[in-house]
Amino acid sequence: MKKDVWRIGDHVLTSRFFIGTGLFPSPYVQKEAIRESGAEVLTFAIRRINLASTEDDSILQHVEGENFRFLPNTSGASTAEEAVRIARLARASGLSDWIKVEISANERTLLPDPLETLKATEILVKEGFTVLPYTSDDPILCKRLEEAGAAAVMPGAAPIGTGLGILNPYNIGLIVEEAKVPIIVDAGLGSVSDVAQAMELGVSGVLMNTPVAKAKDPVGMARAMRLAIEAGRLSYLSGRISKKRYASASSGHEQFIVK
Amino acid sequence: MGGGVVGLSCAFELQKRGHQAIVLEIGRCGGQASGAAAGMLAPYSENVEGPDDFFRLCRESLRLYPSWRDEVRQVSGRTFEYTDSGSLYIAYHEADRLALEGRRLWQNEHGSSGIVLEGDELFRQEPMLSREVKAALYTPEESHVYAPDYVLALEQACRLTGVRIFEQLGSVTVDKWREDVVVTAETGWSFTGDRLIVCSGAWAQELEDIFGIRIPVYPIRGQICAYEAEVKPVQHMVFCNQGYLVAKENGTLVCGASEDVAGFDTTVTERGIERLRKWNKQAFPFLEEREPFHRWAGLRPSTQDGFPLLGPLEESGGRVIMAAGHYRNGILLSPVTAQVVADYIDNGSRLPAFAPERFSY
Repeated sequence: MKKDVWRIGDHVLTSRFFIGTGLFPSPYVQKEAIRESGAEVLTFAIRRINLASTEDDSILQHVEGENFRFLPNTSGASTAEEAVRIARLARASGLSDWIKVEISANERTLLPDPLETLKATEILVKEGFTVLPYTSDDPILCKRLEEAGAAAVMPGAAPIGTGLGILNPYNIGLIVEEAKVPIIVDAGLGSVSDVAQAMELGVSGVLMNTPVAKAKDPVGMARAMRLAIEAGRLSYLSGRISKKRYASASSGHEQFIVK
Repeated sequence: MGGGVVGLSCAFELQKRGHQAIVLEIGRCGGQASGAAAGMLAPYSENVEGPDDFFRLCRESLRLYPSWRDEVRQVSGRTFEYTDSGSLYIAYHEADRLALEGRRLWQNEHGSSGIVLEGDELFRQEPMLSREVKAALYTPEESHVYAPDYVLALEQACRLTGVRIFEQLGSVTVDKWREDVVVTAETGWSFTGDRLIVCSGAWAQELEDIFGIRIPVYPIRGQICAYEAEVKPVQHMVFCNQGYLVAKENGTLVCGASEDVAGFDTTVTERGIERLRKWNKQAFPFLEEREPFHRWAGLRPSTQDGFPLLGPLEESGGRVIMAAGHYRNGILLSPVTAQVVADYIDNGSRLPAFAPERFSY
């Protein structure tokens, strides 16, 4: 059977789990959880990194020497201009030319600012970045980001860190249907059922931090989430049954009765 | 079990309340993480995400500290540095303002009078700070102690109130813990008691098989260095996302901590100290020219969910009480830990969020 891989730009990925490095209770738990997640892509806020010496950074030092692809994000930026500036800093430090555009103007909800996100995406694509914008779950907006050259589009399930799950599955489904680039659900997932639901809706991957790092057992939860991604993906590929209003016998023996 | 800051604090509190406490220490009291700590009492700077149960425990301990400090000083007849310096959590990016502001909002609702400082006002408060620093969250409520002296005073306070302290025991084994408590030391001595309080920090995990529960406590090595500083060059405790700097009364400037996973190894590494030197000169450019004169390391007992194991083992009918896994905050949490343990023994009160059996299934 053909291996179920996917691509961001020219980069081939096997894992569909992007994991955030923040919030873990200790470097030990962080390391173990990342290992257990099977993630190939790690994401973190550029403002939290010591860009002058990334290999000695308090977070990145613990994943040194392993073969991860970094997806730094512009969190904390409230305008396109700021996000672009942060992205350039990250690339100049040699971390990665992948960038997650994250722009929010409200410190309570941290919801993405769609207009600034689109603006920053346009600029960064022109500058040759591989751009993965984090955005609201609006199907038209997601399409616009794709047209602007985003390598993948990352609609939120719910506000960051809330664990509320997919607030609008209809929208996420529509976004996937329309998309020609990978769709990654980013932010707001809380449990394995949320993750399986996202994968069943046909998204290419999920990005999580809080639901793993703040679990009672982050290592156990990382594994649970990995399995949920696998299960949800396999379910999507295998095709779920359609919903019916009334029962139908699962034995289905009528058709075999010889009259 | 354990003569670190947590074990000594529990012993002192219990002795004051009329119990007979015995401290069993395999090496020297305060010889591990307690003596290595920088002594920051900083619940706000250490908890940046939100007001969870751990933050509440830290904040309660800070509230208890002044009267606890007075008592330890008075009973021991020893003094130790306790400085109400306040703290600055510094940021280099415009993009950090949103996060600082978010923190200020929730922390102001929980006892902090913190404000975000910028520009001239910031540099007036902390003159040597790099002009690259864009803003800082100033929290006046945070303080620091000189941990080695504090632990010595605590040990003396214990001795003077009648706590029996046994050191250099090499190793200890728990022989009985259900009906009564029997602990035997490598020296052949045997100790009995009504209750066993486990305060063995990073070593608590060794008791997993004895108690038949999971004790997910992992040692994280923290490397620290100190500079000589005749005139106090840094006025506040200064935190950033890479570590902290704090100037002590004894004319040293302490910089920590470079964390790594190295088992029970307390060796100081060149790389570990270099990491500190790479970021601290960004915060305080004058450090570029300086060489640290002292370097050391301690093992911080981290836990699987970041919360300590604090309270009774239900399996033991409350005979065994855990007080371990304080990670970066053992010095800060010492008064509240002593109170929680003594309150459980005296009236059975519990804090479910820290129940030691929460990892066992």
